[in-house]
Amino acid sequence: MAPFNSGIETQFCNEVNNALQAQDGAQLLSILQLEPPFGPIYQQLISSLQSKYPKDDQRAEEQLERVVRNAVPETGESEDEEGRPVPNWSAMVTFIVSWMCFIRDVNVENLLETYERLSDLQQKANSALQHSTKGILILPTVISYAKVFSRVAIGLDRQPELIQHLIAETVTEEGRRESLPEKAANILRHAFITCLNDRNTAPRGIKDGRPDGKKVGIYRMANICLKILFQCEKLENCQTFFSNIHNSSPPLAIYPASERVTYLYYLGRFKFATTDFFAAQLCLQKAHDECPSDPSCLPQSRLLLIYLIASNLLLGRLPHSSLYHRPEAKNLRTHFEPLARAIRRGDLESFRRITSLSLSHPSTPFFIRHRIFYQLGNYCEVFVWRSLIRRVFLLTGQQVGTSSRSAPTIDLSALLAAFLSLERRALTLSASLSQADSVPGKRHISFALADTSTPPASLGYIDPDFDGVDPVEDDTTPLTPYIRTTDYSIMTIESIVSSLILQGFLQGFVSQRTRKFAITGARRGGGPLKAGFPVVWEVVRRREEGREVVGWRLEGAVEGGGGGVVRLAGARPAGE
Amino acid sequence: MSAQQGSAATTKAADTKNGEQTPKDQKPATQLEEDDEFEDFPIEDWTEDDAQLPAGGNNHLWEESWDDDDTSDDFSVQLREELKKLGQK
Repeated sequence: MAPFNSGIETQFCNEVNNALQAQDGAQLLSILQLEPPFGPIYQQLISSLQSKYPKDDQRAEEQLERVVRNAVPETGESEDEEGRPVPNWSAMVTFIVSWMCFIRDVNVENLLETYERLSDLQQKANSALQHSTKGILILPTVISYAKVFSRVAIGLDRQPELIQHLIAETVTEEGRRESLPEKAANILRHAFITCLNDRNTAPRGIKDGRPDGKKVGIYRMANICLKILFQCEKLENCQTFFSNIHNSSPPLAIYPASERVTYLYYLGRFKFATTDFFAAQLCLQKAHDECPSDPSCLPQSRLLLIYLIASNLLLGRLPHSSLYHRPEAKNLRTHFEPLARAIRRGDLESFRRITSLSLSHPSTPFFIRHRIFYQLGNYCEVFVWRSLIRRVFLLTGQQVGTSSRSAPTIDLSALLAAFLSLERRALTLSASLSQADSVPGKRHISFALADTSTPPASLGYIDPDFDGVDPVEDDTTPLTPYIRTTDYSIMTIESIVSSLILQGFLQGFVSQRTRKFAITGARRGGGPLKAGFPVVWEVVRRREEGREVVGWRLEGAVEGGGGGVVRLAGARPAGE
Repeated sequence: MSAQQGSAATTKAADTKNGEQTPKDQKPATQLEEDDEFEDFPIEDWTEDDAQLPAGGNNHLWEESWDDDDTSDDFSVQLREELKKLGQK
């Protein structure tokens, strides 16, 4: 063994052994460097490895393994302080050998080759992590390598020409092609699971109010994996992480702030993408509240705020103007305020323009880039409907006095006329012309030449003088091309009103005989507006609150952490 | 051992002990790029005092009751005109 004992390889191994003996995981990580440029001592090691243990020598790894095994006795069988046997840690020996081979061979110019070598090294590190008592020493190394590995995987995903052959040959058991970042996330998931399932910890994985054992790495590993999956748009693969954490993790609250906020960002975005906007809002609000106010954290704070605003819009809570004065909210008013204004007024025309699938609105690229376009376009529409109905009621409705016995009503024909005229304007007028046509007296000269505003007689609007008379119009009467395009009829309006009643956003009933929407409870509910149009957010909150957010582990006593039991009530949006 | 003299990359990676850093030590990032990548925080842990908002302090950020009863705005005027025209048909 003499020739092996004197080399620089042995010196490194001795240092590794010292770190293991001192149970110093951070020290171990500082030795097992991964990324060039390497310092002089590493250059010496690499030269020595290349000459004494060259890549093309089939026995090189076997010989290196012998060196490591001898020079790192901490990897052998032993006994702990109480005399209990500690099994050998041969996975650590294999890992150290792999590390030496990695720094000997790595060529960062070749991204694909680097990825493959990193993949192999990461898997060896993951195996070493599994040792029941000593595995935790390699946890900082596993996390640090995982960050590098994920970066390379995401980088490669953005250069598909380099990995085409790999994508083609990788098919999962279900017959689905698995992308390279997905493969990377699956490899890292093993380390995540090892952390999550560590049994060598204090009860529930908590000691002195902090996560114990390898459980300390749960959220760091999860966040790295989630980052990969979000970057390569494989959100469906995230569910398993959230479920696993929900089932087995200590409470999120006992982890460091950076891990909490990052994790809640991904959980919130996942909930948003799966249209659970209330849960999204809870996660994102908490994350935004806890995000540091320091300017260095402005990018994170801004991203959180973008999704938080979107979530709140989708729940019927509109941003207050003071929100836009926050440093991370710069320019956000430009994108969100027109949408909020359309919701507030019931301005269906503006709403259609903003969310048009022709992608012509100036804010569309912003919404698409942040992947909130579809949700805003589809799920905010009901609030615009409600506001428009409310506005038509203000303008035309029969607001019967409280002494009258009849209910306040809105003529469905008036609603049809309002919906149609706004839909038609959105389809036919450009935004600038629409603006010019907005108010009598400000009308643009071009309107004198074009008849774009004449409504068809077939709309069925009932003048108050003829109220109660059976309509003679047939809804099946052929309509003008505009109307055919928008496909509106009294039936459509009835559906819209009924759907809003069902969702709790309108209070009343539809009379098919009189073709009216009647508001109920106006006399005891403080007037028709208050009774007929409940506050959207209140309706949503009553429906949603108290529900568990899967993936956000709140329950459980926090020992010594000032703890008590944390319940979901504690996660309600502030102001409740 | 000189192995510790290592690269900047490793120094960055060995961030498990920097929990005592305060946000004030960090360089301000003034650029507000519109990337949707959630970057790693420059610090690992911080206290509530360093956080954006104390719990319960964001009441004023959201409007829950936002109905607009003003019927004199351009939109209402335009809508009223449309409804009037229909009534005359």
